[in-house]
Amino acid sequence: MRPARLARLAVPLVVAAAPLAGQTGASATWILARSKVTYHVSHPLHQTDGVSYEARGKGVCQSGQCTLLIAAPVKSFNSGDSNRDLHMLQVVRGAQYPMVVVRTTLPEDAAGHDTIYADVEIEFAGQTAHYKQVLFQLTMQGNDATVVGTIPVTLTDFKIDPPSLLMIAVKNEVPVRVEMLWRKE
Amino acid sequence: MTDSSGNYRIEDLLAGDYELSVSASGYRTGTQRVTIAAGEARNANVTLTESLALGDLGFTTEQTQGNAADQARLDRRSHMLKWHQRFGLLTAASFVATLVSSTNAGGRRATASGRDWHAGLGILNTGLYFTTAYFAIFAPKIPGAETHGQIRIHKALAWVHGTGMIVTPILGAMAFNQRSNGQRVTGAASYHGAAAAVTTIAFGLAIISVSVKF
Repeated sequence: MRPARLARLAVPLVVAAAPLAGQTGASATWILARSKVTYHVSHPLHQTDGVSYEARGKGVCQSGQCTLLIAAPVKSFNSGDSNRDLHMLQVVRGAQYPMVVVRTTLPEDAAGHDTIYADVEIEFAGQTAHYKQVLFQLTMQGNDATVVGTIPVTLTDFKIDPPSLLMIAVKNEVPVRVEMLWRKE
Repeated sequence: MTDSSGNYRIEDLLAGDYELSVSASGYRTGTQRVTIAAGEARNANVTLTESLALGDLGFTTEQTQGNAADQARLDRRSHMLKWHQRFGLLTAASFVATLVSSTNAGGRRATASGRDWHAGLGILNTGLYFTTAYFAIFAPKIPGAETHGQIRIHKALAWVHGTGMIVTPILGAMAFNQRSNGQRVTGAASYHGAAAAVTTIAFGLAIISVSVKF
């Protein structure tokens, strides 16, 4: 049976936050120590990469699951040309929705694997898109975890009209490569 | 609602499939599918995980809240620059047409009608050029945005073709009058062709500077 046809039972939890936190206390906290996030735009006349080094992230592991939150200011992406960056900011409604926010949940034992598949939720340009089973390469070194992967983002996922140059629109596919160094606290 | 320990009880449910959703402030909503048979009592435990917020990452409210006025300024800027681009392409075509028509406006093959055509195209070109410039000059500026990258070349070249578009028509009018009076083109007017060539090249390079990455 499809979920949509399920009867829904909503149970608001009324316990105070502190006792609950005590019951489900975090077993580990991860902090994003360093990152490079790159979007790639293709146009017949040129290829462009926009890079941000300003993402921040935190991960909390509880009950075998790690919840990760990563966010970066949209205006922190630099493509090497201020005019192009301002156009990008306009088409992605970056002044109205100034942050790109990524959420994912991973099993805590994912740290023991070289590759991980994560369901990723991205909030961007006032829209939310979900990407299933995105492949990431994972390298552990002590308390550091290096995570590298590419999220197959498209402009239509976020209802963004493809910008054009000389009347020719850019490609819909805008893959986003993430390189992150997470540190266990 | 649960009690203070998180226990809950839901009675009198019909047999069927249910999606149980548990929510609490500061935690991610947990869901679980539960199938209940007729007359059956079921236990369903849902573990909530802590919900992280942008504040946990050290972002301030000022950084994370949108600004409709800033977005409107960006929209207006992009709208005007789109017209700048469209008129720029039209102007480029009219530059070429004006240059081509110059072969019948001066030199040995010059004719009166050739001069008139060239002058007409020159006037059209000037009109298109300043319309193009208007959309760039009056596009709203974005506070705090520093200019870097190839757009700097585009802007620098505007000083060259902008000056050229003031000088060239003046020299062209002088040359037109001299030729129309049966005189040879002399003095400053004789630089009309050279000024037009420099202006056209600068304009073409300005288009290339924002079209091709180098």
